[in-house]
Amino acid sequence: MDGEQSLTEKYELFGCIQCGRCSAGCPISLNSALNIRKLIREVTVHQVLEPIYEQGELWDCTTCSICSLRCPRGLKPHEVLISIRSILAEEGNVPATVRDALEETFKHGNPYGQIRSKRFEWATDLKIKNFSQGDRAEILYFVGCAPSYDPRLQEVSRALVKTFTQAEVNFGILGNEENCCGNEIRRMGEEGLFEMLRADNIKLFHNHEIRHIVTTSSHCYNTFKNEYKDDSFKAEHYTIFVAELIQKGKLSFSKEIKKVVTYQDPCFLGKQNGVYEEPRFILRSIPGITFVDFERCRERSLCCEGGGGRMWIDASDSGQRLGEVRIREAIALGAEIIATACPFCLLKLDDAITTIGLADKIQVRDIIELLAEAI
Amino acid sequence: MGRIFVLIEHRKGAIRDITWEMLIKGRELALRSGGELTALLLGYQIRNLAEKLVQRADEVLVVEDEKLSNFNGEIYQRVLSKLISEYKPALTLIGHTSFGMELAGQLELPITTDCIDLCLENGALKAVRQMYTGKVNAEISFIGAPSYIVTVRPDVFPAEGQQTGRGEIKYLSLPIEEIKYKKFIEYIEPAVGEVDITRADILVSVGQGIGDKKNISMIAELSELMGGVLACSRPIVDKKWLPKERQVGLSGKTVKPKLYLAIGISGAFQHISQIKGGHIIAINKDPRAPIFGVADYGIVEDLFKIVPVLTSKLKEIKAG
Amino acid sequence: MDRKSGGKYKSPRLAFSECDIFFSGSAEHSSFSNTGAIVDIIVCVKRVPDTAGATIEIADDARRIREDGLVFDMNDCDKYAVEEAVGLKKKYGGSVTAIALGTEDVEDILRMCFVTGCDEGIRLTDKAFQGSDAVTIARILHRLIQSMKFDLILTGAQATDDGYGQVGSALAELMGISHATLVIGIEILDGKARVHRELEGGMEEVVEIRLPAVLTIQTGINIPRYVSIRALMKVAQKEIKVLDLKGLGMREEEVGESGSNTSIERLFLPPLTKEMEILPSDPGEAATRVVKILKDKGGLV
Ligand SMILES: Cc1cc2nc3c(=O)[nH]c(=O)nc-3n(C[C@H](O)[C@H](O)[C@H](O)COP(=O)(O)OP(=O)(O)OC[C@H]3O[C@@H](n4cnc5c(N)ncnc54)[C@H](O)[C@@H]3O)c2cc1C
Ligand SMILES: Cc1cc2nc3c(=O)[nH]c(=O)nc-3n(C[C@H](O)[C@H](O)[C@H](O)COP(=O)(O)OP(=O)(O)OC[C@H]3O[C@@H](n4cnc5c(N)ncnc54)[C@H](O)[C@@H]3O)c2cc1C
Ligand code: SF4
Ligand code: SF4
Repeated sequence: MDGEQSLTEKYELFGCIQCGRCSAGCPISLNSALNIRKLIREVTVHQVLEPIYEQGELWDCTTCSICSLRCPRGLKPHEVLISIRSILAEEGNVPATVRDALEETFKHGNPYGQIRSKRFEWATDLKIKNFSQGDRAEILYFVGCAPSYDPRLQEVSRALVKTFTQAEVNFGILGNEENCCGNEIRRMGEEGLFEMLRADNIKLFHNHEIRHIVTTSSHCYNTFKNEYKDDSFKAEHYTIFVAELIQKGKLSFSKEIKKVVTYQDPCFLGKQNGVYEEPRFILRSIPGITFVDFERCRERSLCCEGGGGRMWIDASDSGQRLGEVRIREAIALGAEIIATACPFCLLKLDDAITTIGLADKIQVRDIIELLAEAI
Repeated sequence: MGRIFVLIEHRKGAIRDITWEMLIKGRELALRSGGELTALLLGYQIRNLAEKLVQRADEVLVVEDEKLSNFNGEIYQRVLSKLISEYKPALTLIGHTSFGMELAGQLELPITTDCIDLCLENGALKAVRQMYTGKVNAEISFIGAPSYIVTVRPDVFPAEGQQTGRGEIKYLSLPIEEIKYKKFIEYIEPAVGEVDITRADILVSVGQGIGDKKNISMIAELSELMGGVLACSRPIVDKKWLPKERQVGLSGKTVKPKLYLAIGISGAFQHISQIKGGHIIAINKDPRAPIFGVADYGIVEDLFKIVPVLTSKLKEIKAG
Repeated sequence: MDRKSGGKYKSPRLAFSECDIFFSGSAEHSSFSNTGAIVDIIVCVKRVPDTAGATIEIADDARRIREDGLVFDMNDCDKYAVEEAVGLKKKYGGSVTAIALGTEDVEDILRMCFVTGCDEGIRLTDKAFQGSDAVTIARILHRLIQSMKFDLILTGAQATDDGYGQVGSALAELMGISHATLVIGIEILDGKARVHRELEGGMEEVVEIRLPAVLTIQTGINIPRYVSIRALMKVAQKEIKVLDLKGLGMREEEVGESGSNTSIERLFLPPLTKEMEILPSDPGEAATRVVKILKDKGGLV
């Protein structure tokens, strides 16, 4: 099949020296049979890829991209894995929960199967400009699927709105016209659907003459910035935008948050886009907070397992979840709050706390929630 | 309106609930129209069942034949057709069940299916049925005909009602041909441990509020008494208290029960977004638990206070 | 109802009273040989609105719902039926033809059938079909299928929109062949199929049925594959045959409202489910209420 040929060629896999730096850094390898070095070898050496397709652990990868960051040859092993998923997806060969998420996204513009006309419901009591109602604004606040529908995450969206409002940002949202960004869709292997969403969204941005987008999620940010390949607009994660607001003195604090706080670097913000300083800057600006960093932080930060479609797939492994490891590390640090800047990290860590029953010891909050509390 | 037929549904020697429900509704229609209520009992070695039915119908027509011993849609169909053309009932009620669905579509009388209500308006029959998975009700009318067939959704009409005196049992002898093109082979009981929560009508779902693995058995017992299937939230699976196939939610299964009893479940979006339809009853001691945002009925109390009482109540009922 | 009294009425006919005709009739249709294990399959698919989370509004004529803003998809059971048909084809050899009744929009779901592995797609369409009841839909399908060669017809057990659950068995009756409903397992044997039917309470019934036959497929019989956008694009140009009333050789009186024995008088929204009702926290009272709800809402004794 020419697919194999092109995988090796497309990703220049003949350059792989089988050094194993990729797999040594892979967080998933602790619990999963997935061995990314071996996978790369199988793809290059074997003529037939079918046996690889059978490996359930292909769906364990969180697409955190550590492997690619560590590769001394500058290869992109995680992209190879996504390509294999896309071959599977084209054949319709995906886990049932992934199939449902993809079908729902095709039908309703979000992977949760929630109805489109309720996308904006969380904000009906807020006075926000709405592009789909003909309003115009300087900045598009792109809410994202999970922060639109999940009641826990709606708190994050509200905190952002509160912050923007206080800083008198001229912003609007897309309301019920907002669509899935496609970041996770692409990582679940559905290239075709991703391309469709990208085309729809770009058209939407053009129609509303949008030049500047600020996102809640590091996942939306990543795909807009790196995969939309359209320079008529600039996409920023809110941490970048808000850090600037603070620097410009647009935000004033009225409350202290007397807590020891640590920070979980979201893979899609840190490793994939190099945004490490802004979130820390925001946390340090909030009066009262004592900030401590994890021992493993920044590019070495431990993935929460929320990316790469993993919100819809439980790993094939049965070991301890990375989120649980992270919670224990945070408690050992003396942290009372783990702050993060990604809806999926927030859910995954929150879930880990619930599961190990440590809710009285530690909390997970989005940075913007802490900030909004202090202004 | 003349005679009303109710096709009795029974399996493995027991009359099924839908039968009583149809008899109640049939009686109501008969009273209103001055017709007779006739129970049609088809099967083999079913005389004891006839005795039970006779208290609820004006007449029980029994066709007993070895060929009817296991339900076979095609044989039943023939007998039913014969009886309908002979007795010319104004209306025949059949359950919209795995039993009734095998029969009903074959008849060329005006028929409508899966009805939740029936009434007579100026002597004409009207049926109400649900569409769009229960979101819309439709009123159905029929073209004028001497005989109609309606299949009735189970669990809609009450099964209990006033007894209506002793009717008559009539044993009919009909020649019944052997059918060679459809053959009953066997029944398969649900294997223990093998469950499919996606098909269950009643789910009793347990969450972390249960506290300890040993308490799961208490919920399992309740579930069994309710005729439900045990399900759970993800932390219960994580802790290996129940197997993965019981997990409701985004990374588990999407369920469509008629009734969902959530016990000690907080109601995270990942959990509740995959409960599609049905009534939710929630037991949770935290009045602010998000599950109460989607529940139809809520009990704000310690589950360890509620569940034992509910269990013993159900036991009482089962014991008669 | 009065509006129709005096209308057409078909007298009751004894189903299968002519056994011999059944047998000779079947041989014509079936390509099934005693030795061969080739199955030619017809699968009927319906395009339905996905109303799961939607707020439904009723149209002004009170006989339809407003469809604007709704998203459409293949009927849930039908996805399983298509997957099953293709699975059987893979296992035994043969062909699968998908048939859908409706306007041009239904070509979307026929293309989904192509992706899953159906060989051909046929669309039946005519203005006159509007207002047909389930038996009439079956009659239209029958008219086409009559002239086709097949061993099995698969339909969904019940549509999620109208939900009559009748088309499959009515079709079997019209064809004069056997059927089984709520099928959750199929094995092809010599000239017959062994099928598992889903009964209430998790029980299954196993029956053997002579081919050709109609099986109405219940969800859960298999795991339907995902239909990807790229795969859909690849079949975008594949031909779909289209037939109308005339093409089928039918007359207007046979179809639509005039061909139907039942009709929808009006649609209305069920009484609104109220806000959550808080039950007493006294265990005894709470238990009593729960038992009552169980009884009212579909469970228990
Ligand atoms: C990517 C991802 C996917 C997920 N997928 C799923 C999924 O598929 N399914 C799923 O269920 N979850 C899933 N989750 C987890 C979900 O977010 C929640 O963490 C989980 O559902 C919580 O389970 P719970 O309600 O049992 O536990 P908790 O949230 O701990 O709730 C326990 C509840 O019990 C109550 N309670 C405690 N004691 C008592 C008592 N004595 N009497 C009465 N009530 C009591 C408490 O008030 C509390 O509300 C997922 C999470 C993520 C991040
Ligand atoms: C404007 C309008 C008016 C109507 N008026 C009436 C009316 O007066 N009386 C009435 O009874 N109904 C009416 N209907 C309902 C409609 O005709 C139903 O679709 C029909 O009765 C079939 O029932 P069902 O879809 O519930 O089939 P079910 O028996 O529930 O469906 C089972 C299976 O049959 C097959 N099937 C069903 N429909 C099709 C299809 N279109 N193409 C291919 N396969 C199919 C599928 O495999 C499906 O899974 C009306 C519909 C409309 C839009
Ligand atoms: S992207 Fe992350 S999880 Fe996936 S293989 Fe690479 S290191 Fe492992
Ligand atoms: S790190 Fe790069 S070179 Fe080393 S094994 Fe992995 S892919 Fe090959």
